[in-house]
Amino acid sequence: MFDPLNAAMRVATSGLQAQSARLRVVSENIANAESTSSTPGGDPYIRKTLSFHSELDRAAGVSMVRAGDTGTDDAPFRLDRDPGNPAADSSGMVKRPNVDVLVEMADMREANRGYQANLQVIKQSRDMLSLTIDLLRSN
Amino acid sequence: MSDMAFFDLAARQASWLAARQSVIAGNVANAHTPGFKAKDLKSFEDALARTQLTLAATSPAHLGAQDAASRIGDAREIVGWETHYSGNSVSLEQQMSLAGDTSRRHALNLGLSKAFHRMYLAGVKG
Repeated sequence: MFDPLNAAMRVATSGLQAQSARLRVVSENIANAESTSSTPGGDPYIRKTLSFHSELDRAAGVSMVRAGDTGTDDAPFRLDRDPGNPAADSSGMVKRPNVDVLVEMADMREANRGYQANLQVIKQSRDMLSLTIDLLRSN
Repeated sequence: MSDMAFFDLAARQASWLAARQSVIAGNVANAHTPGFKAKDLKSFEDALARTQLTLAATSPAHLGAQDAASRIGDAREIVGWETHYSGNSVSLEQQMSLAGDTSRRHALNLGLSKAFHRMYLAGVKG
């Protein structure tokens, strides 16, 4: 039988998964915020982006969420003059990744908040379920 | 069975609240999905008025039976407290307050059911 409270927990779990995928992408971006190319004049690390899609679960009629494939940010690279860098091109310019750590931190906070909200929904649904089960206890 | 009317009503409200909880879960899960619109169920009073007389569904192909899934399918878009520029109208604060309201009403509902049950039992045991 279809149980809406279980469905609620399943949906919230899909939210947890999506937010943790987002957190993973954020951590990749932050870790690679200074990763330059291994060849002189080559392109550095390109910032990854992640988009969420809403997905209807037909059996339960609820909207789950799914993290899509990672994309890349087409913002321009930062250019620094650093002739001693192994990644510098013939004119001494080094391409740095298009990662803005502040943006990543803000994104991380938002993912964190989304994760907490989903956890709260799971907690509440579980409480509702256990209250219902408590009806069976002798009183 | 008019003396059982309370339990019928309580069961309906519990099922409505559970359905609402899963709609809220869908909103929260999609709080950062571009273009997603926040949804909520019709009020319990409306749902009750509509389900006073239902046709019996004797086959899974029958339409119109008011089960939880069709109730969730009836969820309509609500005006969110804020709309993100991505077109997403889910406000986590609003959803948390809705979820709190749902779980409070559920606790009240179950508390009342329990009290009525005790009353019946007291009558039966003497």
